[in-house]
Amino acid sequence: MGGNPAENHPISFKYLLKAKQNGGKIVSVDPRFTRSSSQADVYAPLRSGTDIAFLGGMINYAIQNDMIHKDYVVSYTNASFIVEDTFSYEDGLFSGYDAEKRKYDQKQWKYKTDAEGKTVVDKTLQNPRCVYQLMKKHFERYTVEKVCEVTGTPQDKYIEVAKTFCATADPKKAGTIMYAMGTTQHTVGTQNVRSFAILQLLLGNIGVPGGGVQALRGESNVQGSTDFGLLFGNLTGYIEVPQAVAEQASLEKFLGVVTPKLGYWVNKPKFLVSFLKAMYGKSATKDNEFGFQFLPKIDPKDYSHIALFENMYAGNLDGAFLWGTNPVVGGPNALVEKQALGKLKWMVAVDLWETESSSFWQKEAGSNPEDIQTEVFFLPACSSYEKEGTVSNSGRWMQYRWQAIKPKGDSKADLEIVHMLARRLKEAYKGSTKPEDKPFQAMTWEFGEHDHPDIDLVAKEINGYDTVTGKLVAKFPDLKDDGTTSSGNWIYCGFYPEEGKNLSQRRDNKDTGMSNFLNWSFSWPVNRRILYNRASCDPSGKPYNEKNAIIWWDESAKAWGGYDVPDFNKLLAPSDEGGATAFMMTGTTKGNLFAPRNEGPFPEHYEPFESPVQNAFSSQQINPAIKIWDGDHNPRGNSEKFPIVATTYRMSEHWQSGAMTRNTPWLAELVPHMLIEISEELAKDKGIKDKDKVKISSARGEIEAYAVVTKRFKPYTILGKTVHQIGMIWHFGYKGIVTGASANNLTPHIGDANTNIPEYKAFLCDVRRA
Amino acid sequence: MEKMIKFVDVTLCDGCRGCMVACKNWNDLPIEIEEFHGVQSHANVTANTWNVITYTEVERKDGGLDWLFRHASCLHCKEASCEKVCSEDAISHSKYDTVVVDEDKCVGCGYCVEYCPFDVIQLKTLKDGLVEKRKAYKCTMCIDRLDQGLQPACATACHAGSIVYGNKEELLAKAETRLQDVKDRFPNANIYNPKGVGGTNTVYLLADKPSVYGLPESPKVPTSAVVWKDYAQPLGKALLGVTTMAVVGAAISNAINNKGDGGHGHE
Repeated sequence: MGGNPAENHPISFKYLLKAKQNGGKIVSVDPRFTRSSSQADVYAPLRSGTDIAFLGGMINYAIQNDMIHKDYVVSYTNASFIVEDTFSYEDGLFSGYDAEKRKYDQKQWKYKTDAEGKTVVDKTLQNPRCVYQLMKKHFERYTVEKVCEVTGTPQDKYIEVAKTFCATADPKKAGTIMYAMGTTQHTVGTQNVRSFAILQLLLGNIGVPGGGVQALRGESNVQGSTDFGLLFGNLTGYIEVPQAVAEQASLEKFLGVVTPKLGYWVNKPKFLVSFLKAMYGKSATKDNEFGFQFLPKIDPKDYSHIALFENMYAGNLDGAFLWGTNPVVGGPNALVEKQALGKLKWMVAVDLWETESSSFWQKEAGSNPEDIQTEVFFLPACSSYEKEGTVSNSGRWMQYRWQAIKPKGDSKADLEIVHMLARRLKEAYKGSTKPEDKPFQAMTWEFGEHDHPDIDLVAKEINGYDTVTGKLVAKFPDLKDDGTTSSGNWIYCGFYPEEGKNLSQRRDNKDTGMSNFLNWSFSWPVNRRILYNRASCDPSGKPYNEKNAIIWWDESAKAWGGYDVPDFNKLLAPSDEGGATAFMMTGTTKGNLFAPRNEGPFPEHYEPFESPVQNAFSSQQINPAIKIWDGDHNPRGNSEKFPIVATTYRMSEHWQSGAMTRNTPWLAELVPHMLIEISEELAKDKGIKDKDKVKISSARGEIEAYAVVTKRFKPYTILGKTVHQIGMIWHFGYKGIVTGASANNLTPHIGDANTNIPEYKAFLCDVRRA
Repeated sequence: MEKMIKFVDVTLCDGCRGCMVACKNWNDLPIEIEEFHGVQSHANVTANTWNVITYTEVERKDGGLDWLFRHASCLHCKEASCEKVCSEDAISHSKYDTVVVDEDKCVGCGYCVEYCPFDVIQLKTLKDGLVEKRKAYKCTMCIDRLDQGLQPACATACHAGSIVYGNKEELLAKAETRLQDVKDRFPNANIYNPKGVGGTNTVYLLADKPSVYGLPESPKVPTSAVVWKDYAQPLGKALLGVTTMAVVGAAISNAINNKGDGGHGHE
């Protein structure tokens, strides 16, 4: 659901096919019948943007039909926590909402605490103010009838999905949910994922072999990129970026704000100080807060993709680096993003080919070069086969890759380009006495004295050193907050535990038990393959499913044994203090059914920013906490003018904006034309025949494409009215061997309330014959 | 020598087209950007595109949908029409029981194209300076990989395990097992290894009737091809010489071909 692994993550699908041959069942929930659906045992359609309705109904179904793993829910989730009386929900709004600011006061959603400050719990789950009862009440409204009216799913198919999946509440069974951008690219993307988590916690499917919520990462190293702080709000290892506010003005204050009281994150100060030591080396001392003030602070504003381009469009940015990114094809409201690039003074594009973005100023882009003052630099990058380094996969395995061929022409590895830039900037700032240049001067950059960096030194800096002995740190529990250790990224600490032992280079393909390959590469943290695997055993340490046991408490050895690295302390007996808690990183040490996010602690269905219907669940039409990006450049379409629901997606044959695949002949020929998919019914209404050229318009723009008239899209009946949906690939642009119109000329600037990820997956359009 | 076959279990195929890329990559074939056909990239296999994944939507009786994929490529018939009608002995069976074309011998007459019951073998025009030559091309089952002890490129690339190459007896047995496994889901499922052409070296497990995939239900070696190869040609060559015999061959095949349109042998 929200993913299409057969087409977009085919190697993961290989294992689904194996599971199916072993008697497993594949359930596919998607607005369109995909290549994944073709292999599914059960397929159910849903209208784009109604995932919370669909999943809320499944949560309700599980509770009403007693298809939950009760012992797991009581022992390992926060179901028993009592919530303060200030928390309430009514007609689409939780308590504490400020309509003016479109923001909640989350202090109203706290747990009740006793005199000692401990959370009050009711293990019987009967107290009406416990999380379980509040949740039960919240989702009671999500009946099968109501849900199917909103999602358009046939009721029999819906019940079949719910029955099939909720059957995994049986401790002897496991179910996994694989999702991707179909889940996240919505104004409610975060809560879509939260819904998965709630359902999986109720079914006892987290931390068990074959369970989990699998984020299928859309790019081969997107896991690595977020691990290493690519997201604007994160440093490496998911530590928050400090904000330029009084409450975070010092290292001590900042750590006070971001360090939770419970769980493993209480060690955050050790991880951050070690990070600062890796950044600033000898310039990071106890006296200068380990260089905390050198770190760039963000003001609490939004630095996400949409916000950056809105600012760029408003003329607030001087320059930009486009590093392997192609917003003129891949960005939402792409015509506006193209214009925004023209408002920069300078732009550097680093890519394998000249892309639509690096050449946005050219005539073929529809631009008049004379009108564009942006100075554009293009740096040719080399491909992954032409360099060495690591890639982290969706399973958090950091796998080393070696160079296969030398880079073509002048192209260089990304790391090489950064390295050359950093060295030249260090040189340029060398003699400066300006205070604002201090951080750059303080930053260490000790990866060799040549333009080609010593990758081994980079790897070791990521792992970290004992700064006194100069030895590599063996594992992150050894990190300290007194400046005696460094680590560029604490979650990877231990992948290089001693000289000559880079564990990401391991290639032992022997099954070390339960289909684990512990000596193949390195999986963070500490080579653990299944996160929260403590939850696969009951509180006494006995596996819920003996047949598929992954770890267990061995009383005779007084230690945890098994086929995985136990989460967390190997010697912590189930009877010890904290020995029966399974979720070390959640702040409560429990799996959080109730978890405050910007739009509330429980998921609630809101319609997409552009929707053909009124929200049937409440009078709140859209997510109350999303930011609305006003302006003539970002108009909102209405269903009178644009009655058809649209979504974008990828096909196996192309990758992302197509910059690579449309330039690779053998891939380009497989899908050489821009296409949309529409139902036979809609095609008939519009007089469109299979393979016709059609025009698709939204409030933002119009594009031309070929039509695939297919049985794989069907009209929905939503709240008694017929609603059509179409789908389109977003791989095309005007550069490359094969070219075509960009779907993102149609999508709006609107994003999720927590991450601001754009809502590419549900917007309104119209379609007609070209 | 161990008897080997290629077994294509289309019920495992997820239509990713990795086999198409692997084939072009190994055999160094140029791209062919065709007009828009929908999800399918090429209308059919060509002299430059030796395998094509076909996509067929079929509505089930229960209202459900099947989206059927097939790795379409040369089936390597035991009784190969292309081989039988070739006047130049350019087409033969390799030691792997696969059908291969000898480029040097092929004169591009096109009989093989006319007579292939599956529309597989195709001609392409090669230019050598001012001289243009037509030659017939198709899947070789990667004979140059088999010689190296490797698998055909399509089988190596197939992550779904839909295309496998291996011991004939084992794979035929596997086909039977898989047929039983998928019968519930696909009541029309069948093993496609047509007797009319003496069986094929590529054996399919199809999810639906052959005709749903555009395959002939019971292909046969055209009588004309048999007459030509097994009787007329040996005799004629002895009497008249090679070139004349090609002309005679054309006359015979036209006379015997009961379709009269030089059709594609879908008998």
